[in-house]
Amino acid sequence: MLLQQLVNGLTLGSVYALIALGYTMVYGIIELINFAHGEIYMLGAYMGIVTFGLLTALHLTSPSSGATLFLMIVLAMVFCGACGITIERLAYRPLRNAPRLSPLISALGVSIFLQNFVMLAQGPRDKGFPHLFVHGGIDFPGGRLSAIQIFIMATSVLMMVALQLLVHRTKIGKAMRAAAQDKQMASLVGIDVDRIISVTFMIGSALAGVAGVMVGMYYGLINFFIGYIAGIKAFTAAVLGGIGSIPGAMLGGLLLGLIEALGAGYISSEYKDVFAFAILVLVLIFRPSGLLGADVSKRV
Amino acid sequence: MGRRWVWFWTAGAIVVLAIAQAHAASTIKLGVAGPLTGDQGAFGQELKNGALIAVEEWNAKGGVLGKKIEIVWGDDQHDPKQAVSVANKFVNEGVVGVVGHFNSSCSIPASTIYHDGKLVQLTPASTNPQFTERGLWNVFRVCGRDDQQGSVAANFIVKKLKKSRVAVLHDKTTYGQGLADETVKSLEKAKIKPVYYSGITQGEKDYRPVLTAMKGKDPEVLFYGGIYPEAILLTKQMRELGIKTIFVSGDGVWTKEYIDIAGKAAEGAFITFTPDQSEIKEARGVIKKHKEQFRSDVGAYTVYSYVAANILLDAIAATKSTDAPKIADYIRKTKWNTALGPIQFDKKGDVLVSPYVVWEVKDGKFVELK
Repeated sequence: MLLQQLVNGLTLGSVYALIALGYTMVYGIIELINFAHGEIYMLGAYMGIVTFGLLTALHLTSPSSGATLFLMIVLAMVFCGACGITIERLAYRPLRNAPRLSPLISALGVSIFLQNFVMLAQGPRDKGFPHLFVHGGIDFPGGRLSAIQIFIMATSVLMMVALQLLVHRTKIGKAMRAAAQDKQMASLVGIDVDRIISVTFMIGSALAGVAGVMVGMYYGLINFFIGYIAGIKAFTAAVLGGIGSIPGAMLGGLLLGLIEALGAGYISSEYKDVFAFAILVLVLIFRPSGLLGADVSKRV
Repeated sequence: MGRRWVWFWTAGAIVVLAIAQAHAASTIKLGVAGPLTGDQGAFGQELKNGALIAVEEWNAKGGVLGKKIEIVWGDDQHDPKQAVSVANKFVNEGVVGVVGHFNSSCSIPASTIYHDGKLVQLTPASTNPQFTERGLWNVFRVCGRDDQQGSVAANFIVKKLKKSRVAVLHDKTTYGQGLADETVKSLEKAKIKPVYYSGITQGEKDYRPVLTAMKGKDPEVLFYGGIYPEAILLTKQMRELGIKTIFVSGDGVWTKEYIDIAGKAAEGAFITFTPDQSEIKEARGVIKKHKEQFRSDVGAYTVYSYVAANILLDAIAATKSTDAPKIADYIRKTKWNTALGPIQFDKKGDVLVSPYVVWEVKDGKFVELK
């Protein structure tokens, strides 16, 4: 049972981590908690269903092929990335020099708008997600590692490695780090900060889109409200790991997933959120900037 | 804006209000409340369609008390807080009675407000005993109660399935936990103690951890007290984890969505619900009308909602008044002939007879077990 709970927890955790990355990257650069980020994840899940519907209705690919899945993920990434850029352009950039509270409220507004938009456009009911190579898996004593769990963990790791490479090995990553350190200085040395912020939103949103499609497949059921809880959990993960820190978000996500799974399995599923948030409070008491966070004093 | 304009706007607002008031007086307002949107929107739709058909029929006959009937919708999104504000809205808008709410967790807090505001409330679907157990004169339900439902479920598990290792999960709501606890009570009468008992959180999507913990106790049957969205996830994730436990649940899961979305995983699940409505001769008319008007079959509680609206309007017509205590008295002492067959209410507002039966999911359909 322990093994099974670890598998459950790691799968859930890697999804939290993917969403948490978007929170943390945006916070790292413009110090905004993007409350609309959970909604982007929800849009990703819906985009997955829409793509699936289109592809199979037009007989372009067979429903259970890898190509369908690949296209679902890629289109969700592109769509969410575009949404991220648009939202930043419309809702946050005009408020770049406004008091800190204004973009925060703007973010809440975007979140409410997107939820209701999807509710009206796609209907308030739950939507079933198509079955895609969900069947099969590896049985081990006391549990089972399903194909979809392997797929989710592998994809998440791949995405995180790619992100690390992008941030540390490329020019754009260097520009992102520079902008995170000091926007004004970065612009003085010729970095187009607005463009870097757009790119950051795009990458974070694309990752959330991937998470949306994968979670849709994993649970098999989505509705317009899934972004809310996922957003809160991922935000918690980001804070736990240290908001602003990319490895922190990954660690925080995995930890939160594990805590929830083990808490539900060994203590009580009714108290699993209590348990998760109690750990968050403890970490913040002893390490106010999160597990891997930088010193926050200068930011607040 | 100059100060003199304030007068203009105030005058305008007063005129608008006066018109709204005049318009209000020319219709009889009927409140219909439930989770019209949100993840339990399927149930809200049933409530809505049933009430709509009833009101359209009445309006075709010329309305009630010489006035047309107008439905005021209240969307509580199965949130008790929303339900209370919907209830206050109804009282303030002067509706004559309420059909709703759907969820027990909403009906119960709302009923106190209807009680204070002197409104009759008929719920088509809230099955928690507490709804009628608090001695309120204004509450009625046309459905059964969870103590009855729970004992049918427990009997079925013990006598028909002949299983003794039972796990119990609920969604921590008034309805879900209430039904789960009533089932546990009945199981304990048969000397069976659940091997696992726990609550899950509505709205979450991953129940694998709790299912894995449950699997450790090796249950033969899982009884779930809750509504269909979580039931879908539980059923699917249970099968994906390779758990072969039999799934048993209550009327909150009896929806097309459960079978459609859970698919193969739902096969062999047992759900307690009332007997097949299509076999009730009086129900055929409304079922047919629903099919023609909405191009879909009736849901679990469509006919119940239709019946609740009809009883309320009938009582208003018969007493020739919108005075709630009079209406309530009339509803209580009358023997009703409804689309669900004959119905009679007891002092508390419960129906006298409420047979629950067990349904099985077979080849993508609910089949009533005889």
